[in-house]
This record gives sequence, structure tokens and C-alpha cells, in this order.
Amino acid sequence: MKTICTAASAALMTFALASTALASDPLKVWMRYGDNEKNVLDQITKDFTAKTGVEIDLFLANTDFETRLARAAVGGSLPDVVVNDATAMGQMLDMGILKEVDRSAVQGGDQLYDVAWQSVQAQDGKFYGVPTSAQAFAVFIRKDWREKLGYDVPKTWDELAELAKAFTEKDPDGNGKADTYGYVMPVSATRGYASWFLSDLIWQAGGDFLAKKDNGYTSSLATPEVEKAVSFARDMICNGYAQPSAITATTGDATPVFSSGQAGIYRSGPYHLAPFSKEPGRDKIEVIAPPAGPAGQAELAEGEAAFITVSSTQDDAARQFIEYLISAEGQQTGMAVGIDSSPIVRLPVNKTVNVAEIQPDKAWATYADLYGKSGHYFPRVPNWKPIRQLTADGFNKILSDCSSDIAAGLAATDETVNVELANQGVKAD
Amino acid sequence: MSIEPKRWRWTIPWLFLAPALIFFTWFKFVPILKGLIMSFYQVKFIGADRWVGLANFERALTDSALGAAALNTLIYVFSTTIAGGLLAFAVALILEGQALHIRIIRTAIFFPAVTSVAVLAEVWRILFYPAQTGVVNSILGLFGADPQGFMSDPNQALFVVILLQVWKNIPYSMVIFIAGLAGINRELYDAADVDGASPLRKLWHVTIPGLVPAFSVVIMLSFIRGFRVFTEIYTTTGGGPAGSTEVIMTSIFKTGFERLDYGYAAAVSFMLFTFTVGLTVAHVAIKNRFSRT
Repeated sequence: MKTICTAASAALMTFALASTALASDPLKVWMRYGDNEKNVLDQITKDFTAKTGVEIDLFLANTDFETRLARAAVGGSLPDVVVNDATAMGQMLDMGILKEVDRSAVQGGDQLYDVAWQSVQAQDGKFYGVPTSAQAFAVFIRKDWREKLGYDVPKTWDELAELAKAFTEKDPDGNGKADTYGYVMPVSATRGYASWFLSDLIWQAGGDFLAKKDNGYTSSLATPEVEKAVSFARDMICNGYAQPSAITATTGDATPVFSSGQAGIYRSGPYHLAPFSKEPGRDKIEVIAPPAGPAGQAELAEGEAAFITVSSTQDDAARQFIEYLISAEGQQTGMAVGIDSSPIVRLPVNKTVNVAEIQPDKAWATYADLYGKSGHYFPRVPNWKPIRQLTADGFNKILSDCSSDIAAGLAATDETVNVELANQGVKAD
Repeated sequence: MSIEPKRWRWTIPWLFLAPALIFFTWFKFVPILKGLIMSFYQVKFIGADRWVGLANFERALTDSALGAAALNTLIYVFSTTIAGGLLAFAVALILEGQALHIRIIRTAIFFPAVTSVAVLAEVWRILFYPAQTGVVNSILGLFGADPQGFMSDPNQALFVVILLQVWKNIPYSMVIFIAGLAGINRELYDAADVDGASPLRKLWHVTIPGLVPAFSVVIMLSFIRGFRVFTEIYTTTGGGPAGSTEVIMTSIFKTGFERLDYGYAAAVSFMLFTFTVGLTVAHVAIKNRFSRT
């Protein structure tokens, strides 16, 4: 009897030990953030672990994120949770690495904005992620330069072009050299930057990338509206008001042009508020609503979302972590107030959290206002990325030749985009 | 080694080779083979890949974007080979010899060859900055020329990246030429002197025939390097503007790692691989024929 007892308790012990080992397997989380966000993420994971006992093994990568995911998928070592741009969902679905999310089962899911949920809804109507953050794009201006030259905040395209001209020609930094520029434009075709940058202008001109019909989409670039937008951008470059290497610049090349004081206008997201407040300095910059085009005000709205991978064996822990990210507490911490870090929650997706009350910097109210009033998401096709690339290739080609026929270039791009739409099975007749 | 040392002697070279062989098998031959297999599939990241037969190869032959990249690659290869070869040959003639100052200059000229391409690319971007303040543009400005777009101008970008490759390759080729020059029998020059040959005639009838093996190595290396050029392009222009510097490798990279179309990227890679192997075989064949006659 005694032996049996010993054996049984030994077996129990082993089982208990084994199960604790299993339970304490850290949750592997990959996020598309970088060093700028590291401190706030450390705080979030620390708080989460203290609350739930679940350890987090966090990996951050700003570049080549999808490539790394693809490698991990092929190698059978996917993380459990991925936090990535919501626009990347189509590609990840194509790769087959995402698990469906039951929206109603997500605790706190009912507190999230509906428009944010839509960003993770696939063509089949199902949800494959949980939105964690949203953002709208606005325009950074060198306030000190603008005031020194005596210009008002630009409210229209014309005023924007005037200001860019003045920044280029009137030596705003006062060093006596013609070494400053107006508008920082990342319009390289690489990874689709040209398309991403021009989106604001296209919507401001009243155009759109795709026309939605009953049975799908068609590419709608060859319109007078889109032509106006592209022509405005091209004039900026060809008049010399953009930074000289705009045509081959990604945001990685463009951002330093603004922060180092070579140019004074930059369209970007709230994630640049923290770095730009350090350099060139908060007192030198202002955040303004994008100047209105012929059709009024509009700008890109984007968001991040958390996804659970198909190979994850820790669904509960993964859901707990995501639920923490979207909870009022998680969202507040994510805004990085009082932490030396860029926020991972730019605009909260949780309705109960008010950014204007939490973020001391008034610029946040501008972003929130824009998001609510005039933010545009990219069209929800199955996979936006190939279309972003094709349109960027097309725009880059037009922008790099000051005398080319814009309408013809746009018509040619329409054709390639329509082929891709057909590939994705969403081309309207 | 008291027991029959001779019997086991054949293993010694293999033992020395073994680390490299194992390393290459694992990190080169196996991936090459896997790449070949991949090119017949549409690669799925989770679950079984889909067999598509020769579809990826057929697509490559009709892909107009790839065709444009292939044309750029051809221009790139021939320009870098001809310009780089001729300049390296000239530099080698000037810098042949053992005097101290010549050795110092040679070392200085070799610097681009041992510097990381990423650094060279940055140097190039600074030199060819497309504004008035750019280094090359300010020099051009002295002669009254307008600032040029260089790598931002679709009509000039390919030329500027070709220049980078030429500059970077000259030192390598120069070393090969100098080695070749050192191997030419001095008596031939003496004999030519006795016959009263002019320097040009000596160059044409003694130096150049003596350098045929060196030329063939330089041309071959330049061809292979040119066809698979990637870093020099990716770090300077990324294939832009307007695709004007897109080459086969950057196009493969984008297909594979941005569009995540592994199967198609593998197929194009394999075609390029077969092509460069073919080139090498042809080169060896021509060289053998040449040395027989």
C-alpha cells in the first residue's frame, strides 16, 4: 500500500511539475514596433505578467516583419500572437497563418469602436484579429520657420505650396545658404511608399484608388481627381520644393530630413510626435490638419491589430493578453504617458478611453479629431499590399518624369491593378 | 601512424576538406536543391505546397517587368565589364612595379574593394546628392552646369550605379592584371626593344597576348558579379526611380520577400543560376580551346 501511495504521489508530482512547466511556457509575441516603443512595451508586459502570471517572450521588428513571419511559418516556429498593421491582415491570411477570432467572445470587445473592428474583418465576413490602436495622419510643420517667414498655417493646397516654396527659397534657418526644402515626400516605389503617401492627396482631390461596384471593385485612378492629386505632388518635386531625393526616399530616408532641419513640412502619423519633440524640439514643431484639396479635407486612417496564429497552442493566454491590450488599463499604459517611449496605442480603440484627457500634448486632440471626422481607410480588398505596390510603381514612374502624360500613366496603372483585382477574385465586371 | 601509413594517406586531403565540404553542403548545396524543388510549387506557408509544374517558369518567360529588369541587367553587365576592364587594365599598367609610392597608391586604390557595399552606397548617395549642394553637382556647377538628378533621374540612375560597380571592381581586376603582367616573360620585351618596337607595338604584341588569361578571368568574374548584382542596387536606388535600375536580383528579392511569392522567386533564381553556370562552362570551354592552339 505504502509503495503504491509513494508511486502515485510521485506520478502526481511529475504530472504537476510537467503541467506547471507547460503553463509557464512564455507566450511568444511578435510586434511590428522598434526601439522607440520598447519602454512602453516592457511596462505593458510587466503589468500583464503581474496580473495574470503569464510570461511574455517579446520580439520586436520594425523592418521586414512579414518576411520574418514567412520564415517563421516555413520553419514551423510562429509566435502565438502577432501585433501588426491591420492592412497586413490580407497578406497574413494569404499565408494562412491566422486563426479566426470570435468577436463576441473577446472580453471588452464590445467597448471597441465598430470602425476599428471593420479593419480586421475579412471578405468572408469573419474576424481574424482584434484592433489595438488607430491613427490618422496629419502634417508636421516647422512652426519656428513658418513664423519667422510670416506665413499663416496652410489650410489649402495653394497655401501649402506657397509655404513649401518659402521654406525652399527664403532661407528659414537663416544660415545664409540655400540648403532647406519645403515638403518632405517619401515617394519611392519600395514597399509601396508612393501609394501610401499619395493616398491623402488623392482623397483630398476627391478621387479614390478603387471604385466599389455591386460585384466587386475596379481600379479608378484614371480620373481628373486623381490626376490633380498626382500633378500637385509632381509639381512639388519638379519645382524643387520637395527634398532632392524624394523620388527614391522611403520614410526611413525621409524622416531624418525633417528631424535634422533640412525641410519643414512632413506628413506623418502620431508615432513621430515623440521623436520630433526631441529633435527638432517640441517648441519648433506644430501638428496641423492636412491642408484641404479641391474636394476638402481627408487623410489616411490606419490601425494596428493583434492576431493569434494557427499554430498557437496557448489560445487562452493569447486571448488574455489581447484582452489586456484593449482594456482601458492596457490602452492607457499603451499611450506611454510618463514613459520615455513612443506610444503603441496612438488613438485608443476603446470607447471608454479619451485620448484628450490622457495625453498632455494637445496635438493628440488634432489626431483624434481627424480620425473621427475625415479619416479614410484603404479599401478592404482581400489583400491590399500587392495593390499598394502596383499603384506605388505607377505613381513613382509618373512622378519621376516631369513631362510625362499623367492621365496615360494612371490608365496604365489601372490596367495592372485590375489584373491584380481579378487575381484576388474581387474584380467587378 | 605505425600501421600502414600509405594505405590511409588518401584520406588526409579529404579530412582537411571535410569541414568546408560539410559546411557547403549544408549551407549551399542543400538550399540550392530546396530552391529548385520550391520552384515547381506555389509555396504555402502553412500546410502542403501546391504543385504547379512548370507554371512558374512559363510565367517568368512572359513577365514583362522581369524582361525589363533583365534588359537593365544586360546593360549593367556589359557596361561594367567593358568600362571596368579597360580602366583596370590602364591602372594596372600605370601601377605595375615595386616602388614604395606605387605600393601606397595601389593600397589606396584597393580601398573600395574591401569596404562594405552599404558604406559605399552611402558614399555614393552623398557624392551624387541630387541638389546644388551635392558634391558632384557642386563640381559641375563650377562649369556652369545645372544640378543633375543622378539617382533620382530615371535616365541617369542606371549609369550612376554602373559607375559605382566600376569603381568598386577596378581594384580587384587591377590586382589580377598586375599578377598577369608580372608573369610575362621579360625577354619578350627585350627582344621587342632590339627589333625597335614602339611602346604601343609592345603593348599590342607582347603585353596584351600575355594577358589573355588575366582578361578571361576578369571578364568572367565581372559577368558573374554583374548578373547577380543585388546589394549595390538595393542600397542605392532600391531598383527605382520608375524601375530604371531594377535588375534581376532586386526583382527576385521583391517577388520573394515583399510579395512572398517564394515559388516564382525560386524559379527565376534557378533560371539565373543555370544561366551563370552555363556562362562559366562556356568560359572554361573557350579558355581550353584557346590554350590548346
